[in-house]
Amino acid sequence: MESMDIVGKAKEDASLPKATMTKIIKEMLPPDVRVARDTQDLLIECCVEFINLISSESNEVCSREDKRTIAPEHVLKALEVLGFGDYIEDVYAAYEQHKVETADTVKGGKCTIGAEMTEEEALAEQQRMFAEARARMNGVAAATATAPKPPDAEPNMNC
Amino acid sequence: MRQAGAYSGILSGGGISGRTGPHLLPLARIKKIMKKSSVDVKMISGEAPLVFSKACELFIEELTKRSWKLTVEGKRRTLHKDDVVSAVATTDVFDFLIGLVDLNENHRAP
Repeated sequence: MESMDIVGKAKEDASLPKATMTKIIKEMLPPDVRVARDTQDLLIECCVEFINLISSESNEVCSREDKRTIAPEHVLKALEVLGFGDYIEDVYAAYEQHKVETADTVKGGKCTIGAEMTEEEALAEQQRMFAEARARMNGVAAATATAPKPPDAEPNMNC
Repeated sequence: MRQAGAYSGILSGGGISGRTGPHLLPLARIKKIMKKSSVDVKMISGEAPLVFSKACELFIEELTKRSWKLTVEGKRRTLHKDDVVSAVATTDVFDFLIGLVDLNENHRAP
């Protein structure tokens, strides 16, 4: 009886799905063009290697900035450093687009501070509330006679 | 087939044909690869794989198109490994792939 090699091979454990990759590759070429099977595999390997490369660099960029989480900015910086600066514009645009799309869903959800606030307004509002809370803690209630605000100013604070 | 929709509006400038959906590659898989890339990988923000997904698409596009150019020059309609190898060899930013494609080449002993 042969023992099956169940332990996943390190490198091939995490690769990109062939079908998706093939679709992407084919979309970039004229419809009648074929891609040899081994060539598809090679392109996928190259892509994985690309991720490895950018990941390592992003990791370093992150460390240099004394941050603990790899953020999109680090990835963009890594792209630039490694000579893929041309990608940054498109990548950033796609990222911004995604933020807009997901922001819409969040706004429609439970966590609403005000009716139609922009992010800046919401942030300012938050700062104001913190300041108020701080003032209350410091017992400066009398000093805030100019802008008297009830303790529970905002009804929708259910974030 | 290729209609410029809401998502692909921003992509129209860079010569990428209109694709519906901002990203096709599975983010979880990308995250997995990222974690394996270094020994002491930090935590990865939820948005980072997204950025990677886009970057990968652009990378694949560039590599594929450069290879394709060589295919055309060779008056062929099938993209071969050699085309990819040549594209890698002639593009500076693809230097990091030289070892990888070389490894592939060596499997085919003349």
